[in-house]
Amino acid sequence: MPTRRRFLLSMAGLAATLKSIQVAHAEDAAVFGVSVPLSGSMAEFGRTWRKAQTVAVEEINEAGGIKGRKIELVYEDSQGDPKQTVAIAQKFVDDRRILAVLGDIPTPAIMAASPVFQKARMVQMSMGSHPDLTKAGEFIFANQMSQRQIAASLATIAVNRLGKTQAVLYRNTDWGKVVQSIYVEKLKELGGQVVLADSYLETEKDFRALLAKVRAAKPEVLVLIAYYTDGALLVQQAKQAGVESKIIVSEACYSPQFMKLGGDAVNGVLTQTLFFPEAGRPDIQKFVAGYRAKHNEEPDFFASIGYDGVKIMAWATERGGFSREGIQQALLKGEGIPSVTFGPFKFNEIRRVGVGALAPIVVRDGKFRLLN
Amino acid sequence: MLDALASGLITGNTYALIAVGLSLIFGVADLVNFAQGSVFALGAMLGWWCVAELHLPLWATLLVVTGATALLGLVIERVALRPLAGAPPIAPLLSTVAIALILDRSLELAFQPESRRLPSLLATDNFRLGDMRFGTLDVTIMGVSLLSVGALWAFLKYARLGWAIRATAQDREAAQQMGVNVGAVQGLAFALASALAGIGGLLVGMYFSTVEPSMGFNAGLEGFAAATLGGLGSLPGAVVGGLLLGVVESFGVTWFGGSTRQLIAFAILIGVLWLRPSGLLGSPGVLLREPMTGTFFAGGAPVRIRRWQLALLILVAGVVLPLWGSNYLLRVASVVAVFAILALSLTLVSGTAGQVSLGQAGLFAIGAYTSALLTKEHAWPFWLALPAAGGMAALVAAVIVSPVLRLRGHYVAIATLGIGAMVTSSILNLEWLTRGPLGINTIPPPSLFGHVMDSARDFYLLSVAVLLGCAALVTALQASHLGRGWRAIREDELAAQSFAVPRAGYKSLAFAAAAFVAGIGGSLLAHQYSYVSPDMFGVLVSVLALTIVVAGGMANVAGAIAGAIVLVGAPELFRPLQEVRMLAYGLLLLLMVRFRPQGLLGSA
Repeated sequence: MPTRRRFLLSMAGLAATLKSIQVAHAEDAAVFGVSVPLSGSMAEFGRTWRKAQTVAVEEINEAGGIKGRKIELVYEDSQGDPKQTVAIAQKFVDDRRILAVLGDIPTPAIMAASPVFQKARMVQMSMGSHPDLTKAGEFIFANQMSQRQIAASLATIAVNRLGKTQAVLYRNTDWGKVVQSIYVEKLKELGGQVVLADSYLETEKDFRALLAKVRAAKPEVLVLIAYYTDGALLVQQAKQAGVESKIIVSEACYSPQFMKLGGDAVNGVLTQTLFFPEAGRPDIQKFVAGYRAKHNEEPDFFASIGYDGVKIMAWATERGGFSREGIQQALLKGEGIPSVTFGPFKFNEIRRVGVGALAPIVVRDGKFRLLN
Repeated sequence: MLDALASGLITGNTYALIAVGLSLIFGVADLVNFAQGSVFALGAMLGWWCVAELHLPLWATLLVVTGATALLGLVIERVALRPLAGAPPIAPLLSTVAIALILDRSLELAFQPESRRLPSLLATDNFRLGDMRFGTLDVTIMGVSLLSVGALWAFLKYARLGWAIRATAQDREAAQQMGVNVGAVQGLAFALASALAGIGGLLVGMYFSTVEPSMGFNAGLEGFAAATLGGLGSLPGAVVGGLLLGVVESFGVTWFGGSTRQLIAFAILIGVLWLRPSGLLGSPGVLLREPMTGTFFAGGAPVRIRRWQLALLILVAGVVLPLWGSNYLLRVASVVAVFAILALSLTLVSGTAGQVSLGQAGLFAIGAYTSALLTKEHAWPFWLALPAAGGMAALVAAVIVSPVLRLRGHYVAIATLGIGAMVTSSILNLEWLTRGPLGINTIPPPSLFGHVMDSARDFYLLSVAVLLGCAALVTALQASHLGRGWRAIREDELAAQSFAVPRAGYKSLAFAAAAFVAGIGGSLLAHQYSYVSPDMFGVLVSVLALTIVVAGGMANVAGAIAGAIVLVGAPELFRPLQEVRMLAYGLLLLLMVRFRPQGLLGSA
């Protein structure tokens, strides 16, 4: 019995010590909370966010901060788990220094926390694409376009450039489901034909049985509504399964990891992107240069959205002042909000990014290249 | 047709590889090893490191992976299992869960979480079977699983050490009396099984060309299903189970769609267990083993809570905390309360009735969805939806667990795991009712006399009130005639039956009563989060629930609550540790099982 008590006491002591040695915050910093998975199966995406956000923070602070005050981010690892994001949300809300919050990444983790933020009148801005994501109230934002445009654009590219008979495979999550339904709707409108539509589980690694169905259906085009992890696997296994259709993948595959994981098999695959490093805009050039210098790799779609989040918050604080409601008002009313992903935008009536231009790209020799 | 068969055989091949190791450990140590998937992932990551970073040839990579994972197997046996000899069988099971947690997190820290390309050193598409291409790698995988079964069989049949393993598997005490060093044998079995898992990870990683630190969990699940299908402890059964599972899944995917894979895998598992309670090639002897929760609880009497202590605790929880606690504390406490309710459901079914359930998340989900749909779509008030959620979960449980009632020991655990996974999978696939992957959002918060209960304190008070109600219900059930019947079944099914305790009916009632409590918990969860989706009720939630009751003390109502405070609260307590905190959590769990296998407050 004494052993256990001593053990518990030492654990409590450890926690207390760690609390006290947390870095003292700079006086008057503008602090934002970030709730993301930094461990667990979604950690890959959360860490990309953090990498990109570090670049944004350094840029802002080197340029003199927000009205002379430095910007600072407080990270909490949610593991993408809703029972943790609720607690994190309350923790952020209770911390009076924190002005607004970025995150989380998976939909259940975002939505479980939304009522807490809405109740406390504090902005929660995520990159979720669930159609009902921002319904919890006027403090819930998403710096992400509605899939209505993104998926429709993908369908247009697929029909115009590849062909009309198509097979669609989608990741069976809220995201995949929504993209798929809008995609198919648009495809039919453009006179295309769906010869096969099927879904697969998020955790799936083995697509041979599904791809055998695709091969038998003989579509001109195979459409993969996938993240880069499953997308790369699907493309490779499609080659192995003898699928000869042309392949187009969703914009979530826009990542250097897609080529790393997919190897030679992904050459010739089409996709689209909102943000392209080689594009001429100076803000994009600056972000890409900063990211390369800091992390020695190319930023992807997740990175650009994460980077945008910090920049948007800084922009809103500059205009709305250092208060939670001020930031919300600035976001609601602001125009020409900066974004490397979408270009300057304003939030629409459901507090999402209204418009953005998507460019078709293709993988050639292991690199993404713009299609003209 | 030929396509589906071919792709099924190729996939089943990879399942068999994991299942063989699981079955070996089960045979020798009578243990379902939850860490097997993590060792598999370690093999894959190490393989990646050797091939992609160090550019080693295949033979050297195999050598490194085999050596490292075999060594790890020895360590796992030494650290997590040997000290627990004599503890109730559920303790080592939980110990392997803790090891899995520690391994997964360490892998993530060592290799970073992202997916990596593992170039295949063997061809993957140089042969054809019908229209399906396959390669040297597939043949190698098949070769390794058949060869390892063959070699193991020969070893067990002809080598003296092999005899020792078999003797230990048949009767541990007798083997010990005959001078067999049981500990060493168990260590050897773990080393062998872990090396198999490691090689499996490497080969399967090459087969998919991608590896990631978190790949072990799902591989482990498929492995469980395959091993159980073939019959736990039977090595040929593991191979047959793996191949059969692969083929059935492949046909399922072809006919019903890619998202039904899990549903089909577990449906076939339950179906087979219904007809053959010890799997296809398993020996029925396993059925005679005592219940998993153990007949004799080590450590003896539970910690008694006196009346005044109880009153004081309720005063603190009901008055002091809501008045002086911070909102953050109250939010954490509300979540803790919901999981305490879920754990209480297991206190009944696993603690009192001795049926280990790993499917509680499924019943939790049924409650959550029932309540969400009733309040949102049909405008029911929360106060009616809450009992309705419990009732619906109880009703469904009474029907779907019926195939489990004939099963014993580990088979109950795995069959319920399958049932839980089938429920969440059905929720994902029944889109007309549940909106599938989109989930249900903006679930209205409860309201009382016109007051909308949406603040941290309101939710907390509500959760504590419901928790106390559930605790009272469970206590009353335990003390009732029915409760005595459940305990009789737990202690000795045969004896209970000969005293005319209706075994199947009582077990069914235990599952239904537990499901009622779990459903209530689910309803509370839905209104707390205001959003439910199928991926919130995965197998890990069931494992967490079981962890809570074991850590708190089986069959102990206060123990379930204490367990929830420690295990759901701990990740919050360790929050300052950032990414290392889940590692700390795993260690805490391991130490708890090691030093107090009967649970914090003991078992009643």
